Amino acid sequence: MALTTAQTGLNRARRGVAPGGPGKPANRKSKLSSQTRKTFFWLLLPSIALVILINGYPLVYASIQATHNGSLLDTGEFVGLDNFATVLASEAFWKAARFTLVFTIVGVFGSWLLGLGLALLLRTKIPAGGTFKVLLLLPWVVPIVVSSTAWNWLVGTPDSLIPSIFRNLGLGTPLFLADPTLAAITVCIFKVWVSFPFMMMMTSAALASVDTTVYEAASMDGATRWQQFSQITLPLIARSTYISWILMTIFCVNDFPTIYLLTGGGPVDATTSLVVLAYRTVFQDFQTGPGVAIAFLMTITLVVISVILYRQIRKSSVE
Amino acid sequence: MSAVLHAHPESGPAIGVAGTGKPNRALSEAGLRGRWWRFTAILAITAIMLVPIVVTVLLAFTPGPNSTATGLTFENISNVFSKTLAATWLQNSLVTTLSTVVVSVAVAAPAGYVLSRGRSKAVSGYSLLLFVMQSLPIITSVVPLFILFAGMGLVDNLMGLTIIYVGSTMTVATWMMAAYFDSIPISLEEASWIDGCSVFGSFTKVVLRNSLPGVLSTAIFAFLLAWNDYLVAIVFLRSNEIFTLPMGVQSFFQQNQTDWSGVMALAVIMMLPPIIVFASLNKYFSVGGIGGSLAGR
Repeated sequence: MALTTAQTGLNRARRGVAPGGPGKPANRKSKLSSQTRKTFFWLLLPSIALVILINGYPLVYASIQATHNGSLLDTGEFVGLDNFATVLASEAFWKAARFTLVFTIVGVFGSWLLGLGLALLLRTKIPAGGTFKVLLLLPWVVPIVVSSTAWNWLVGTPDSLIPSIFRNLGLGTPLFLADPTLAAITVCIFKVWVSFPFMMMMTSAALASVDTTVYEAASMDGATRWQQFSQITLPLIARSTYISWILMTIFCVNDFPTIYLLTGGGPVDATTSLVVLAYRTVFQDFQTGPGVAIAFLMTITLVVISVILYRQIRKSSVE
Repeated sequence: MSAVLHAHPESGPAIGVAGTGKPNRALSEAGLRGRWWRFTAILAITAIMLVPIVVTVLLAFTPGPNSTATGLTFENISNVFSKTLAATWLQNSLVTTLSTVVVSVAVAAPAGYVLSRGRSKAVSGYSLLLFVMQSLPIITSVVPLFILFAGMGLVDNLMGLTIIYVGSTMTVATWMMAAYFDSIPISLEEASWIDGCSVFGSFTKVVLRNSLPGVLSTAIFAFLLAWNDYLVAIVFLRSNEIFTLPMGVQSFFQQNQTDWSGVMALAVIMMLPPIIVFASLNKYFSVGGIGGSLAGR
């Protein structure tokens, strides 16, 4: 979803041209007439108003909430960083943080490996390759509410289809959503299933821009398939790979429906991620301060990870 | 499943022209075997990946446990409309989503134009602000917005939902528009300025008129975001008749005994619009979006 744009956003940021097209002579636009300036202001105003209302104001208010002991109805008293201390001292937070970490790592690299593999397969000549490419996008296009319903039907109870198959094969009856460890694994697999088409699209687009004559030269020089892949293909698509990792990390850490709709965070909180924990803390336990504090800590972590990967992008595009 | 049927007739003639890059290898015995191996692999993977979707469709058209019908039936679909508020939910989802799409494009297009053409500290600052805002988790803003909207009577209200959707599309939608406008040469506009056109005039008459792919990809983005959202809906919607489709689908699970025929029928209705949109407008989204920005590096 956000693929296109976050991509372009990064592109624009990387070029150091927030505004303005690439390579347009700067002096042409530097002397904006006051009339133009006024027009620009009015054209920008609705967007600014919305960003302030939906993004800016909540951020300011949330930082107030995070330092107060209020509820949904009342701001409460200023408590400094107490909420953060409470959260950081709670076992539930660290459990959720651990699960979020596992969920993100599996989600990012699982879907990347699968997407990369499929993109490489689909790049070769395969009968009906175009049809497969479209069909494989479906897990990503179908709304999560729909696919989680289907997954629930497939694995939800001991009598569901997949557990029945296991039973008939004499492998026992796995409780995919009731056993804590299995539930965590199931949620991660579900996330990979939802996300791999996105990675496949990103990688396919990157592969399409790789010049195929490079491979001919390489195979003439006696490079093996694996060498061609690891020393030519991967470095050439590195930038797009890092971008897709950043985006998928953001998607995974911020993900709510994939987890909540499949397991609700259970059993015994085994699949409670930080977002689910924040949601529950605010809307089920009515503790606004700690809930928002969790969201803040998440945000900070995300920004740090993005910055690290963003540096990698800059490095890879310099090379 | 249908891929199996198509495989044989299509594979025959394709072999002769295979391997444009490496002619020698493609014609060899090993190359042919490799192709069939790859085809089988991708067929198996696709079949496994589509199980949840096939299951949804099959259950939606299979008679339920209390039904007398045999074979495939539309009974579940008609039942879900007559026995639940499905029609209302569908209407709510359509109204919310379409309003989001229209307003998002209407607000993001002019903003994107300024980002693309304006060169000042303020404009670059705004662009950077958008970049920072977009990585923030929605959960952070949902709580304060809930409190704000509760005071304004916008909780449990489709207008409130739409405002949040438009707001959350804004960062990304503005960039998408800006990126597209970047590709429209400024010389086109300069010609119209010489003819006495104002900046606003050249934006609407010259730039917008040539930006259909950009507008469409922004619209698709806004459509998918609003249509699929669950987090904002679960926080802001309370009553049955205000539910959007995701909440409607979920409401089936609140009962003791899940009516699988009903929920799958509604699920099929819900997944159709995104599939239709994607199938018909796919090229604007992927080619204009990812492809373009990657190629332009």
